[in-house]
Amino acid sequence: MKSYLKKSLVAGCLFALMLLGNESFSQKNSMPVSVSIFNEATAIPFTKFTTRPFHPGIQVGSGFAYNQHRNHQWLQTINLIYYFHSDLNHGIGIYTEFGYQYMFKNGISFSPLLGVGYMRTYSVNEEFALDNGQYVKRKDKGNGRLMPSLSLEAGYYPKKNFNGTKFFLKYQAWAEYPYSPGFIPVMTHINLHAGVQFNKH
Amino acid sequence: MKFLLSLSFLLMILSCKKSLDLQPTFYDCSPVPADSSSRNPNNSKYQALLNDMTSKGVVGIMMSVHDSKHGMWVGSSGMADLHNNIAMKSCNITRAGSIIKMYVAVTLLKLQEEGKLDLDDKVTDHLNDEILSKIKNTDKSTIRQLLQHSSGIYNYILNPQFQTASLNNLIKEWQAPDLLFYAKNMEPYFQPGEDVHYSNTGYIILGMLIEKIENKPLYQVLDEKIFTPLHQSKSFFAAKDKIPNGIVRGYVDFYSTLEVTESTYYSGWDYYTADGGLISNPYDMSVFIRTLMAGRIINTASLQEMLQWKRPREQDETLFETEYGLGIFRILTSKGVAYIHSGDAIGYYNTMLYFPSDGTTIIYSVNSNYGKIDQLISSKEAMEKIITTIKE
Repeated sequence: MKSYLKKSLVAGCLFALMLLGNESFSQKNSMPVSVSIFNEATAIPFTKFTTRPFHPGIQVGSGFAYNQHRNHQWLQTINLIYYFHSDLNHGIGIYTEFGYQYMFKNGISFSPLLGVGYMRTYSVNEEFALDNGQYVKRKDKGNGRLMPSLSLEAGYYPKKNFNGTKFFLKYQAWAEYPYSPGFIPVMTHINLHAGVQFNKH
Repeated sequence: MKFLLSLSFLLMILSCKKSLDLQPTFYDCSPVPADSSSRNPNNSKYQALLNDMTSKGVVGIMMSVHDSKHGMWVGSSGMADLHNNIAMKSCNITRAGSIIKMYVAVTLLKLQEEGKLDLDDKVTDHLNDEILSKIKNTDKSTIRQLLQHSSGIYNYILNPQFQTASLNNLIKEWQAPDLLFYAKNMEPYFQPGEDVHYSNTGYIILGMLIEKIENKPLYQVLDEKIFTPLHQSKSFFAAKDKIPNGIVRGYVDFYSTLEVTESTYYSGWDYYTADGGLISNPYDMSVFIRTLMAGRIINTASLQEMLQWKRPREQDETLFETEYGLGIFRILTSKGVAYIHSGDAIGYYNTMLYFPSDGTTIIYSVNSNYGKIDQLISSKEAMEKIITTIKE
């Protein structure tokens, strides 16, 4: 399973490079950049919207449109994500999303997005590993997981144009798999993002 | 991008938590009375059993074995505190979680002896909290049915929303209404009396009922009815002292990798409600169950009520064949019938066994659980190995 996850990470990175080298970016000579802060929580998706305590996270992403029309587009994103879940772990990951976005005449947009990626988590506490029948303190090498996600995003384009700045709120449901084999197979999370997307020339 | 990576790295460095630096004296405890371990002919065999468990991944273990021929044996293996490299001692204290349910059952039987209630009273004869009206079957269930897990009331701990919420806030101190929320409006497993299904929710309600009848906190009632009369200074309900001095550190194998992290300060749901929260050690628990079975805590008639068994309609093939009493279970092991209750908290696991055929008691307490460690401590195979080693 570990080698499978490593292969997934390599494949994810290659895919990210492929996206960043995509013609859509080079043709327009600009790149959309999104930055969001979010609250992460372990929760059953779509049963809660806001949660406490606040587990801060930050995400930076980019993307491109496969097929852009005046009021709708099919799009692909690539994102780097980090969160800090107090008393449990840090997570750092990379994931890509495929989605559809529709923009109303008033500039308000709506997007469902399906994603997949790789997440690596590091315990916030000291870690001890069994070595020759005894536990010894060890530097945490982290645990890798697949990170499927489903997000719903509501945005607002003040210039009513997909190439302009967008402010958005995003409800992201995602899972860690495998979480604890033989114990808890999958752990589900929600991230509530508030962010902005702009074009970097 | 650089900003994100730098910020992530900075946060990781800043927020790595070290365990507390503690001196060995923090874990000092007086040796158990009447300890005949060194004279016990099985001393090395029992010790080898514990050493085998710790060599395979159990962080630390304490055990007491008592039989009429050899008296009390106590032993330990592994570590009480990995960060400070302090070995486990057989007199240390630990979290014993759900074993409190046996003490709650004994308390209610004593209250019945005192004429303050009847186990066949409806729960709602004594309690009328608004939240209980939203927990299905509560209005139809008797105290006895809650004690025997035959009320059918939904077990809040199995609610995935609770499981993720508890992980989301590992230091939240859960009170009864917070936990009962996760059983609200949930369908019962069956009508009261039709079957048995383990339910922590029922014991939370029983704890509330004891506090209402006695008009004092549960920890005080347990002190007065059980711990003080038995001179058990190392045993109490967690609400009295949530993280007492000397308690062994708890560890979890969250990711099934035998890479453990400390969980001592995770509250779990183990502080205030009567479905968990016992703090004790194997010696005290051994004294408790032997005194109970001798009819010296509750009278013989009450004990007989406690030991009235109800079979579930279906047995779990992965567990021992089990029947349900009042705050106690009866299992069929390869060495005969045993009365049992187990209990865990985040980072802790305990089992209390009493063999009625010869009065042997086996109590073991472990300061680690979850992941691969559960297989070593709480599986049927693990228990069979312990039982056969001790009773062969």
